[in-house]
Amino acid sequence: MNAATLFGLCGAALVGIGLYGLITNPEPLRKILAFNLLGSGVFLLFGIIARRAAAAGLGGDPVPQAMVITAIVVAFAATAMAIALVQRLGDETGQASISSDSSETGEEKS
Amino acid sequence: MPAATALEATTADGALLVRAIILPVVGILLSFVLGGRYAERIAAFLLPAGLCVACIVFLKIWQSETSLSYIVGNWKPPLGITLRADGLSVAMMVAMAIVICLIGVFAHANFDSRVASVETRAPMVFWVMLMAISGAMNMIFFGGDLFTLYVALELLTFAAVPLVCLDGRAETLQAALRYLLFALLGSILYLVGTALLYGSYGTLDIVLMSQRVQIEPATLAAATLMTVGLFAKTALFPLHLWLPPAHAGAPAAASAVLSAVVVKGSFFLVVRLWFDAMPGLLSVAASQFIGVLGASAIICGNIVALRQKRLKLLIAYSTVAQIGYLFLMFPLAADPLHLQYGDVLTGGMLQAISHATAKAAMFMAAGLVYAALGHDQISELGGIARALPMTMFAFGLGGLCLIGLPPTGGFLAKWLLLEATIATEQWWWAIVIVAGGLLTSAYVFIVLSRAMGPPSAPLILRAAVPKYQEVAALGLALLSVLLGLVALGPIDVLQVGRPEAPMAWLR
Amino acid sequence: MIEAYPLLAFALLFPLGMLLACLWPMALLRMPSYLAFAPIPAFVAVLLVSDDSPLVVGPARLHLTFALDLPGALLLGVAALLWIMAGAYASPYLQGRPNRGRFAVCWLTALTGCIGVFIAADMVGFYLFLAMLTLGACGLIIQHETADAWRAGALYIGLGLLAETLLLIAFVLLAMDIPGDGLLIGDAAAALPTSPHRDLIIGLLIAGFGMKAGLVPFHVWVPRAYAAAPAPAAAVLSGAAVKASILGMIRFLPLDTALPYAGTLLAAAGLFAALYGVVIGMTQRRPKVVLAYSSVSQMGFIVAVIGMGMIAGDGRAALAAIFYSANHVLVKGALFLSVGVIAATGRRYLLPILLPVAIIAVGLGGLPLTGGALAKIVVDGPLGDGAANTVATLSAVGTTLLMLQFVRGLVTTASTDYEATAAPSLFWPWLSTAAASLIVPWALFLAVPEGMLPNPLAPELLWKALFPVLLGAILAVVLWRWVRRLPHIPEGDIVVVLDSCVKIAPAWGRTIEQAEGTLRQWHVAGISLLALTLALGVALLAQ
Repeated sequence: MNAATLFGLCGAALVGIGLYGLITNPEPLRKILAFNLLGSGVFLLFGIIARRAAAAGLGGDPVPQAMVITAIVVAFAATAMAIALVQRLGDETGQASISSDSSETGEEKS
Repeated sequence: MPAATALEATTADGALLVRAIILPVVGILLSFVLGGRYAERIAAFLLPAGLCVACIVFLKIWQSETSLSYIVGNWKPPLGITLRADGLSVAMMVAMAIVICLIGVFAHANFDSRVASVETRAPMVFWVMLMAISGAMNMIFFGGDLFTLYVALELLTFAAVPLVCLDGRAETLQAALRYLLFALLGSILYLVGTALLYGSYGTLDIVLMSQRVQIEPATLAAATLMTVGLFAKTALFPLHLWLPPAHAGAPAAASAVLSAVVVKGSFFLVVRLWFDAMPGLLSVAASQFIGVLGASAIICGNIVALRQKRLKLLIAYSTVAQIGYLFLMFPLAADPLHLQYGDVLTGGMLQAISHATAKAAMFMAAGLVYAALGHDQISELGGIARALPMTMFAFGLGGLCLIGLPPTGGFLAKWLLLEATIATEQWWWAIVIVAGGLLTSAYVFIVLSRAMGPPSAPLILRAAVPKYQEVAALGLALLSVLLGLVALGPIDVLQVGRPEAPMAWLR
Repeated sequence: MIEAYPLLAFALLFPLGMLLACLWPMALLRMPSYLAFAPIPAFVAVLLVSDDSPLVVGPARLHLTFALDLPGALLLGVAALLWIMAGAYASPYLQGRPNRGRFAVCWLTALTGCIGVFIAADMVGFYLFLAMLTLGACGLIIQHETADAWRAGALYIGLGLLAETLLLIAFVLLAMDIPGDGLLIGDAAAALPTSPHRDLIIGLLIAGFGMKAGLVPFHVWVPRAYAAAPAPAAAVLSGAAVKASILGMIRFLPLDTALPYAGTLLAAAGLFAALYGVVIGMTQRRPKVVLAYSSVSQMGFIVAVIGMGMIAGDGRAALAAIFYSANHVLVKGALFLSVGVIAATGRRYLLPILLPVAIIAVGLGGLPLTGGALAKIVVDGPLGDGAANTVATLSAVGTTLLMLQFVRGLVTTASTDYEATAAPSLFWPWLSTAAASLIVPWALFLAVPEGMLPNPLAPELLWKALFPVLLGAILAVVLWRWVRRLPHIPEGDIVVVLDSCVKIAPAWGRTIEQAEGTLRQWHVAGISLLALTLALGVALLAQ
């Protein structure tokens, strides 16, 4: 097993855990954390690709590295925004939840 | 996209594309520098300027019949980034710029940032985000590589989410959070796809990709992930969970932007992906699968819309259904026996544009009704047609376009799609298309009949509705009706930059 | 020869311009008084234009084509006449009633659509104006805004749009068959017999136009719509608007080619409707509903004539059907207008008004010397001597009976004020329509070259026409004297079945709504996302 495969498997595991958490966890904050795990797995994938495509004695292909930096910035911005929304939601209702049940019963009531 | 040559370079007027993207960004920065009270004034200047740029690009492409491109910093792909404008992108760009400008006119009443002596949050956020959406959409239309498109897509989402919760009520915050999280899930899938594609081909440039792409597992997996991610962002049934609460809860102007403009961004990317980056890769089975999703969106969305009690929720579900029509173009265009997909593409894009105009008009009308009555219960709409005739007229015209009666753009789009169903012998999609039209007519009729009926109690209007808001809604509705007339000329522009172009039935 | 272009264009643009003028509130306020003027250019065009060279509007690539062919001209002429009279009738009728402005807008929309359909020579134009006609007509039906009117309007627009949907598919199919890229109706009809989708297209056309024409079992909208609409609107809808479907059948179906199966189907459906309308109509009380059922019967008869023409591949059946339709336009229009006139007339002046009503009503059954008798002579050839002719005679007997029933019902609706008289502005338009319904068929009949049709004054023809009328009259007397009660059948008969279907629909809707609610839950949507990814991946790999 070479390093790329090992990191690939790690990335896959992170993606798996992240997906599981994002789908099943009712807590918005945990969902956001899960999204970050998922994101990390994907960033790892970019790292592997940069490494794999490395040729001509370079340490790695710079294009995926540039991409992953951009993607990390985007993910950071997304996390910040989500956290801000959760905080506002908590301020408004006292508890933050996006559980569909509450919103659906809300619709049926109206 | 044009057949790329190794010598692809910035074309004359290519800088216009940069201008189209930079203008809104300048506006956003200026708003922050000068303060939120100036945001509206800046938008009032910059959004029409963006429309002018869009029109100039459109005319250039229409007359020269060649695409424009601009190589950023003269770094050529695969290392650098290229902006390209072809027929599809300029047509969408002009349409979206017009819609956004009219929404801006409409929004003046609700988000007037000039009167307040202190900076207020909602107007500032609205105008900044409107400009951001305009810039992000232009970036999606011109982006020449898949990673730039990813960034543009994220910008679009980040600009759209705050619009959902402008009023800061708990349920809209919840809707916004839902929207954000699900959209993030979608964009992560898209990102995985780009990583896989880069790993396989060493480029993400659309033109280079289209030359190198081959049918192999990694490519197909990447394409699958990206497509499903984009489905989630477009709210294609059954991934539409975030759309109804988000679109129905937002203020009218914001709903209009979200429904008319924002969902078209990710849809446009699906089109780019399958028709430009990976032409010929879509298998028949996969295209039929996408078609089934579109068809179930049409049927379920329309039936659920019929059962809604609130006008804005009805319109939101109608958006779910109309999104389904957009995806019917995939089975129709991907039939390997009929490579002439130009008409189908035209039909799909026309559907996107006419839905944008009609739906924006309908959401505006619903917003005015809400403002006048203080609620939007469909059963209590009696008498509103007499109180706000122009508004309900705009709603009705928008409805005609969604139903697809001539001469509206919806009619022309459906005609093209129906013709394709017959040419490719896929009559089952024809049944869905016409059944969707009938269901649509049912709920449009229900709303109009309620609105024209007598009020249950004497109608007291809570607020006077400014005339110009009604005019903006009516203007958009009239546009959607007159869109059918584009067949008389500029429709050909959609084919600029495509290998084969004949619009057979029009000649 | 007079240049056709400006006249044809003016015929269409004049009502369209009046419609657009309604955007201006001042014009809208006065528009109800000027409705009678809108169709005049169309009428003038019919009188003056003698060639059928097409009028092409728009650039070479995509254009609308208009032409005045003989069937179109005949129908447009009488329809314009009816629209003029009914327009004149409508303005006093509307005096002091609510929604005058909306009535005018809907009236002009329907009128523009009607004229457009009669002169459209290409499919897009035909479809466009047909849709305009439907929308306008729907607005006229719901004019009174009663619950019944809303239901009638919903039924009308629902069936109308369904019909247009079927037609749209047929048109798209036809467009594919036309060699080259034109969309002319004439080319489409010529290409139809050799089309690979021939049977499907003919089926769609028959179903679509059948719904519009009120062919059984799609007739359910007819009684409700005509009963709900104001008298002048019912007059133009039953007289003029519904004939668009007849014209559509004649234009699109290839009548010069013998198509026995489709023809038999059409003829059987038409003849069945011709009898069915009479039988159900007999059980009705309200004069307008009786007239509506008579329309079902008459439209069925016209469709049957077209069907018989299709069986034989006899193109002349088209003109015969058009002649019959032209007569029906004016007669039915006059009868619907008379409903309003009688309602405003007291017992004292009833008889002088009832007499012409009775004559033209029974004329529909074929009373000698009336337009109805002439129409029967004209269609005699295409109907042949077989079973169709027997059914036609039966239908004539039934129609006479039905019309006598109508006149009898009409008497009971007379004003309770003994001395009341209808306002002259109601009376004269009605009288002119009634007169036109007697004169115009004769004028048209005499325009046919001599020798092609038998002399209507020949004694045996007079007797042949009189015999069903006499039989009908005797039956009517028998019925009135000895039959105490007729079964009561709800207006729109089998629509009751439809109503019960409508009651089931919400349950289905609720199921779908609940399923959709489940899909909208977060974890369900997340799993759907993964499932979609897997499914799409598998589908992509399968190549």
